[in-house]
Amino acid sequence: MTLPEGLSGPSQPDLSSLVAAVDGAHCAEGLVQATRALALALAPPPWGPTAVNSEMVNAIRTLVGVMGFNNPGAAVAAVDGLMACGPAAVEHLLDGLDNHNYGARAWAVRALAGIGDGRGLDLLEEALQGDIGPSVRRAAARGLGQLRLETLAPESRAPVWNRCLGALEKGSEDDEWVVRYAVVVGLESLGRSPHGPRPAPAALMDCLKQLAQPAREAIPVVRLRAQLALDRLGPP
Amino acid sequence: MEPETPPPGNAEPISEAEALRRLRQSEDQSLQYYGAWWLGRMRSRHPDTVPLLCQALRQRQPRDEGAGVEHNAVARNAARALGKLDDQRAIGDLLEALDDEDDGLREAAARALGDLGAESAVHALCRRLASGPLVAGAPQTNSPKLQEPCEALIEALGDIGVATPAVLTVIEPFLDHDRPLIRSAASRAMLQLTGETEWGDRLVTLLAHPQLQVRRAALMDLGAVGWRPALGAISATLAENSLKLIALRGLVEKGPGEPDTEAVLLAMDELL
Repeated sequence: MTLPEGLSGPSQPDLSSLVAAVDGAHCAEGLVQATRALALALAPPPWGPTAVNSEMVNAIRTLVGVMGFNNPGAAVAAVDGLMACGPAAVEHLLDGLDNHNYGARAWAVRALAGIGDGRGLDLLEEALQGDIGPSVRRAAARGLGQLRLETLAPESRAPVWNRCLGALEKGSEDDEWVVRYAVVVGLESLGRSPHGPRPAPAALMDCLKQLAQPAREAIPVVRLRAQLALDRLGPP
Repeated sequence: MEPETPPPGNAEPISEAEALRRLRQSEDQSLQYYGAWWLGRMRSRHPDTVPLLCQALRQRQPRDEGAGVEHNAVARNAARALGKLDDQRAIGDLLEALDDEDDGLREAAARALGDLGAESAVHALCRRLASGPLVAGAPQTNSPKLQEPCEALIEALGDIGVATPAVLTVIEPFLDHDRPLIRSAASRAMLQLTGETEWGDRLVTLLAHPQLQVRRAALMDLGAVGWRPALGAISATLAENSLKLIALRGLVEKGPGEPDTEAVLLAMDELL
């Protein structure tokens, strides 16, 4: 069977013209559209990941730059595109981090949380502990539960797992209910990570049990989610 | 639903005794303002808290635009704090404030009475709305505000939950108000008072409104009722995840029914 024309092989999207469209956007909505188009072109093709070439690097750096433009619609699209790039985006995210641009840092935390690469650990820890934005701490907590340990050298998996647990334990004291909710979700996914300790260690289960207690946790939805996590992780 | 009013300036951590001291003095109104906010936010149970807040609620002050201070700032913040403290002793002073000439203070008082579930306020709330969308709901000259704080008044009636024919008759005309935010508030109140699907469906329709501000209001209203049939529409609407999470928390905590609690929790996980 011959494939119909157009499906016979990968067609390489023209990244450089999509990058030029982002650079040349002169209104907020135009930037959103151009960023979406670029992000879509970077999504992994159905036939598997392609090698990272200089055009892709340029495109990734452009998306990282968009996160600093104070345009939430464009930033959401940029985060989606960077998450689709996966580990290939991580060094550019960390390199491009502007410590003085709060908004851009917040978006970078979200992208790193979604990618789950071990190189993002320092930033996620720092964000959960000290970021002023609850939505950033929330994303960091979720991200600390889903680092992909298999991408790390076997000897560093256990220490990284323990650092994630320690950061989430501290995060369980956060003042905002939504951050504690995300800590619960982070703890559950950490407890299920395929390269982490099995069954989930007592320290992790104890932290969840605390968050399920009315005496310790005032917000019902957090307690309900903690109980669901305990049920799904099973007896320690 | 109204966001928490943050304190002005830098909010350094203070003790309950310090918050009470700030509210008790009257030379520096910005300190009183912060003290009132703190006592509500921290759900203070000190025996002096409610009497001091009631006293602050009776205080009047002119607007100071230069300092960014709203009209009757201390009294408004005292009303908001009293709404969080679940103490019926506040109702008398809040009812007085509901007839104040300052519509911003009337709004804060209406919300607080709704938060307290004050059944004795139903008559007064209805009275302020009784002239209907064309009078109470007409725009003020030279201001985007309406003659009455209709949104707050209607939402309070829904939160209090007295579903008599007289209350429903007052709310019904606002279901067709020109402004979608008022329609949202009226649909929410009707849903709370009657439980009829029709009003939930109207709120879900507003989640597709072209204006973000309207979608946000519909989200908060669905959360306040805990209307679980809206789960899928809440997840899908174009608005901040932070607001969707607040709405879904309402579905978990307030609304029994389908979809079940676990389904709502898992939808929340997707928004983190």
